[in-house]
Amino acid sequence: MQPSTTAPPAPLVSAASPTASEPPPGGIRARALAKSFGPQQALQPLDLEIAAGSLVGLIGPNGSGKSTLMRCLVGLCRADQGDIWIDGQPLRGDGAAIRHRLTYAPGEMGVYRETRGRAHLDWFLRGRPAAARRKAREIAEHLGLPLHKRVGQYSHGMKRQLVFAAAMAPKVPIRILDEITEGLDPSKRTQIIEVLRADAQEGTTILLSSHHFGEVDRVCERILFLQEGRILEDTRASAVRDRAERLLRLVWDDPLAARAFERGLDPTQFARARREEGSGELVLELHQPDPRPVLAHLPSALSAPREVHFGAATLQDLYRDLYGVEGT
Amino acid sequence: MGRDIRHYSAYMLFLLVILEGLLYAAIHWWPAFAENMGAMKALASPMPILSDQMNLIDKLGAPAYVVGQHYFKGCNILGSTAAVLFAANAIAGEAHRGTLEVWLARPVSRLRLYTERYVMGLLAMALPVLITSLTIPRLMESVGASMNYDDLWRCSLHQSLFLATIFSTTFALSAMGSQPLKISFVMLFFCIAQFAIYMVKTITDYSIFRWSDIKTYAAIVGTDTLSVSRLAILAGICVLTYGAGLFAFLRRNP
Repeated sequence: MQPSTTAPPAPLVSAASPTASEPPPGGIRARALAKSFGPQQALQPLDLEIAAGSLVGLIGPNGSGKSTLMRCLVGLCRADQGDIWIDGQPLRGDGAAIRHRLTYAPGEMGVYRETRGRAHLDWFLRGRPAAARRKAREIAEHLGLPLHKRVGQYSHGMKRQLVFAAAMAPKVPIRILDEITEGLDPSKRTQIIEVLRADAQEGTTILLSSHHFGEVDRVCERILFLQEGRILEDTRASAVRDRAERLLRLVWDDPLAARAFERGLDPTQFARARREEGSGELVLELHQPDPRPVLAHLPSALSAPREVHFGAATLQDLYRDLYGVEGT
Repeated sequence: MGRDIRHYSAYMLFLLVILEGLLYAAIHWWPAFAENMGAMKALASPMPILSDQMNLIDKLGAPAYVVGQHYFKGCNILGSTAAVLFAANAIAGEAHRGTLEVWLARPVSRLRLYTERYVMGLLAMALPVLITSLTIPRLMESVGASMNYDDLWRCSLHQSLFLATIFSTTFALSAMGSQPLKISFVMLFFCIAQFAIYMVKTITDYSIFRWSDIKTYAAIVGTDTLSVSRLAILAGICVLTYGAGLFAFLRRNP
């Protein structure tokens, strides 16, 4: 079923606009970046600007282009068009020079099962100074990884932590982490978030992608929402939380009642509305923190709604309700 | 790199031991040519290609037998199999295992990653050919025959370059693909088909093994020279396939 929206899906806060300024040292800049795989456009031409020392969350549904964007930024995927600067330096060739200035943890990863944890860390950190290898072992031991064991004996979550330890060890200005907490239990996830926070406080720029909206909401100061290869929203996490708190959800048993109620509303009272065709659920993002002006129309509705929710939505609810995107 | 060195060293050692074992067996059970040549020719007579080879051994003696056993049989069969297996897994194996992305994500250029693996695989395949060749004179002493090191050095160089073309072609396919097993099957089928073509006299000239048969090595031993034109063509194939593979590798997505 097609959702009906009464407001254009334009971002509330616009994505980075191109500027003629110098690319930021310690930051990330992309201009008109596009990538397609055959007929499928994985990234629409997009601009991105991440200032040094920011902790930015990249969220979006499967296939929205998060991993492709990250791979392009680290030089693993050749963009069809556009330019990238990392730490003030343009990305050239296969990006080997750029990768000295950042670390990258891929979302999909395999391991050499027969290799021991310690040796695998060293392998991940080829081309990095010896201090990075020592630091990686420290992080891995802090996370409780048995480095003397073969990686084939590790669980999925332990392999993730191994990659995380390798990604966090080198002293670099930028880290790009794709689904780094995927498959981890809540306590390990919290531990990893603490390490990320501490790293960000030291001035490292972190771009973190995740399916866990709650986690991005908790840890990131800025959120980029990607859908179908374009940046749908680029906003501060606090603004998103504020929007989530202004979400009004009304549920009728009769879809016609929901439709009639939506049609009877004054469009200036809400920023966005979403209702699945044939569904009795209507979600409104209000301009005001007070829902009473909208609820005042209820007596004139065809019937009374079965449920009314306001102010209790999470970031996950916001994206599910307004964009039909599921997360965890 | 340390991991690659360990792996290719193990492959090399494995190939070395098998090649040396076959060579030792061939010389240890030395045929009494004077007494058996007639019977051996009669045995080979239904297949004209084998018959030609027996005639060559009859004419040139022990060196033709040894190069036939070591290069034509041992190195061609085992060496080409090793070349295919070493190369097919080199890059496609990383993609198949899911380690390609982390392998490429390190701050090391793709040119370097590709070339390191190419050279290591090539050495793992070529060094056993060379080392086993250099043990031939000592082994032959035990049966009262001899061959000089220069001939063997030239033969092993030719053989290595011949195998390098198979290795390099497979390596290029590996740089383009993600299924090492499929690449191995394709290349092994190609080699077996080429060997089958070689064994049929009317079409034998269409086989790549015409460039690595007893006649080829007997000519190297007999003339004390290498065919520069053949070496140049073999080296050219290696360079072309190396370039094609590198071109694909530099552009591939993880």
